[in-house]
Amino acid sequence: MQKNRAVILGNGGAAISAARAARIAGHRGEIHLVSDTAESAFNPMLSPYYFRGKVPWEGCFPFGEDFYRNHEITCHFGVPVANLEATRQQVTLTDGQLFSYDSCLIATGAAPVIPPVPGLRESSRALPLRSAGSARKLEEAMQTARRVLILGASLVGIEMAEVLVKRGIAVVLVDIVDQILLRGTHPSVASILMKYIESQGVDIRLGCSMQEMEETKDGVACHFAGDVIEEVDFVVCSTGVRSNIDFVNRDEVKVDLGVLTDDRMRTNVENLYAAGDASQAFNRVTGQHDWMGTWGNACYQGRTAGQGLAGRKAFFAGSLPENISPLFEWNYAQLGDIQPKTGEVRHLACGDPERGGYNLLAFSDGFLTGANLINCTHLAGKLSGAILRKWRCESMVGRADGDFTEAAVEEILNECTAS
Amino acid sequence: MTECSFFFDASRCSGCMACVVACQDQNDFVTGDTVAFRHVSQHEEGVYPEARITSRSFSCQHCADGPCLLACPMQAISRRPEDGTVLVNRDICVGCRSCELACPVGAPKFPEDGKMAKCDLCYVRRDHGMKPACVRTCPTGALDYGSIEEMSEKMREKASIRMLKGSTRSSEEVD
Repeated sequence: MQKNRAVILGNGGAAISAARAARIAGHRGEIHLVSDTAESAFNPMLSPYYFRGKVPWEGCFPFGEDFYRNHEITCHFGVPVANLEATRQQVTLTDGQLFSYDSCLIATGAAPVIPPVPGLRESSRALPLRSAGSARKLEEAMQTARRVLILGASLVGIEMAEVLVKRGIAVVLVDIVDQILLRGTHPSVASILMKYIESQGVDIRLGCSMQEMEETKDGVACHFAGDVIEEVDFVVCSTGVRSNIDFVNRDEVKVDLGVLTDDRMRTNVENLYAAGDASQAFNRVTGQHDWMGTWGNACYQGRTAGQGLAGRKAFFAGSLPENISPLFEWNYAQLGDIQPKTGEVRHLACGDPERGGYNLLAFSDGFLTGANLINCTHLAGKLSGAILRKWRCESMVGRADGDFTEAAVEEILNECTAS
Repeated sequence: MTECSFFFDASRCSGCMACVVACQDQNDFVTGDTVAFRHVSQHEEGVYPEARITSRSFSCQHCADGPCLLACPMQAISRRPEDGTVLVNRDICVGCRSCELACPVGAPKFPEDGKMAKCDLCYVRRDHGMKPACVRTCPTGALDYGSIEEMSEKMREKASIRMLKGSTRSSEEVD
């Protein structure tokens, strides 16, 4: 039974899961939780559902305020971390408070990346979507908007496009690359999705890089190549996120995109753990350190780390890069590696999005590596499991491409989900 | 807490789908609707003359460490304190489908309203001393339900019988 002092830096899914797991695992000592915001834990993936009216504002804080009291957590809210001295085991906050710890978890999440476009970063009309504060600003901006530009055709960008279109606001969705959902979606699937999203009233422009943004009297003017100027009320920045770990001394703690951890969420420094979007955990599935930015993974990693804070041995079993989301009236899931770089690569597709769903499976040397599913997301969990357990399609090996009729692909899909 | 679970004996399942219909009836689904909490799949193995078809009946497994519980951003999925049954609070589900991605058996279903619905192990029936509808209906006894201890004992018994039968067969073959 641990009676020492644990410090948790952060206040999201990983941090809360860690605190809860530590208490359940028998940690009886102090738990201090440090957060740069002054509110209870916010779930950023719920913001689009709040904008659509599917969840009330307080529902975006799923753990509530009582969580901290019920788990006897000392909160340091509204005070960002200034410095972490990992080997000396002490933390300094920006208000000057310094306290030592016996074990510490970095779970400070991630922050949006705003591209270095002149005028964009400085503008109050360039709005990312991540924190509770940014969601409030977006909600306020949408009240009077008539036309909005979304920078980044990511899943968040498309979800925001849906929110805006359904509120009767004109949307221009722009990306510098030539397909939507670049990460994890096959170009042929992206093309199907793009046509559908355009049919819902979104103006999508790909291969466009914004060169400058300037404020106008009641909005902003976005400049693109070829003297194209888009005048809009504001810009939504959905151009990715990066780990919030500026306070980490890289001479002490190993960092790549996030803090590197093993499969017990331990860093290279004793008694220091990392979890969620701030970490790059060892993924048993890929054998690499991966950034696995989903709410479920963050909670799982946080729980693993929390058990470690309490002196228990727990493992993060690994995961896939994967996502699932309703997009307008369709449902879409992307799993694993859809364009493997090694081995004999094959892509098999069948179905129709409007009639039972469309799926595209990716194989390398007969092993299923990834899948894109439109309107047949009920297969997502089973296919994800098949990728994780390295399922090999024996009936595919040695067959020519011409053998794969739609019926043959369906047969393979059945074989896979039944295995 | 006495944790409860289903037990399924694939060697007894005939694939008659009575369990699916019983589940639809219990939950007031329209017959033929795509939404049912239990589904039966058929599996072909081997080649003629050694080919055979087996059937498997699946629903929510009420996993001890259910991945759906962690994945749900709304904390809408929880375990019933009395028996560990995994339940969903549909009032707060937002239909994000994170549970669908997390579940390895495809248990979460999404009826017309877009919110998740799943097998609740017929806890209302059980609270009144009855078995889950699918278990009660199964004509071959392939499905059963009970405490994890009872079901594990049943599984051990079955495995022992299979081992004994296997050794008898091989000794006959040797003779």
